[in-house]
Amino acid sequence: MIQYLAEHGPGLIHWLILSNVLFAIGIYGLLSRRNAIGILMSVELMLNSAAMNAVVFNRFLTPRAVDGEILALFVIAVAAAEAVVALAIFVALFRNRSSIDVNRMDSLKG
Amino acid sequence: MIERAMITILFYGFAAAAILLALAVTTSRNLLRAAVCLMGVLLIQAAFYLLLSADFLAGVQVLVYVGGIVVVIAFVVTLTRSSQLLMDHPSPLRMSLAFAASAGFAVVSIASLWVSALHQPGMSHSKVDSTKAIGMALLDTGKTGYVLPFEVVSVLLLAAVIGGIVIARKTPPPSQPFTTGGDKPGEADVTLPKSQRISKDGRDSR
Repeated sequence: MIQYLAEHGPGLIHWLILSNVLFAIGIYGLLSRRNAIGILMSVELMLNSAAMNAVVFNRFLTPRAVDGEILALFVIAVAAAEAVVALAIFVALFRNRSSIDVNRMDSLKG
Repeated sequence: MIERAMITILFYGFAAAAILLALAVTTSRNLLRAAVCLMGVLLIQAAFYLLLSADFLAGVQVLVYVGGIVVVIAFVVTLTRSSQLLMDHPSPLRMSLAFAASAGFAVVSIASLWVSALHQPGMSHSKVDSTKAIGMALLDTGKTGYVLPFEVVSVLLLAAVIGGIVIARKTPPPSQPFTTGGDKPGEADVTLPKSQRISKDGRDSR
């Protein structure tokens, strides 16, 4: 049993499939949510799985370098900045229109 | 031997939990519950980073995502009364279209991964001290160093903080430039009950 488990550890393709599945779930939430905060949460999911891809490639293909981990660090920093600005916009929008339903944000429609 | 078996068990267990929690994030009607599930997904992501022996990244993930972003998201969910006002019912057409798009993406990408040449065996299990290497690379001014993007990110974070304050500020002084006029009574204001409307001079009438 332990022998079998030790020989069938997760390879590169298993990690990549996992992050692909998480990304696909994020796409589903992004397209189906109506609340803007729900959409932001789905975007966070997708950013996370993309950052994990970078770390996985770094670990399996170039185990001595750390460039993939640094890319993931920058992704985390930019995601934090993006979340702050997006949530500030939601608060301002809610104050103006008392709703953050993306179906009703159609002021720019011609 | 035992260690490798443990890694296999942990990987598949965490993967199943992450996928279930991510499904809960995207389908839960209650947004506060979705935020808590998002916190679970991000914690499991930190565990994945530990399995990939990226210790520093796991710490940063917990600090920034779980301690920062999820808390701010939960604040804004309560601030905008999202969990009561809008229980987020998407139409069946929208749900089926979104499902088709995401399932199409998953099938195409996983199929192309499967036929690619990426079938490597396991990772090398030599423990590398990646924290020190990250620190050296981030402050390296040489050709392969990352000191310029590091500084640019610090400017970006400062700009994001200032932008967040300016956009979400309550009352903009009229003499000051770069304000959004975030408090002007909007068109949706008229539909509110009288007690919640904002009076014309910009002050809350409550």
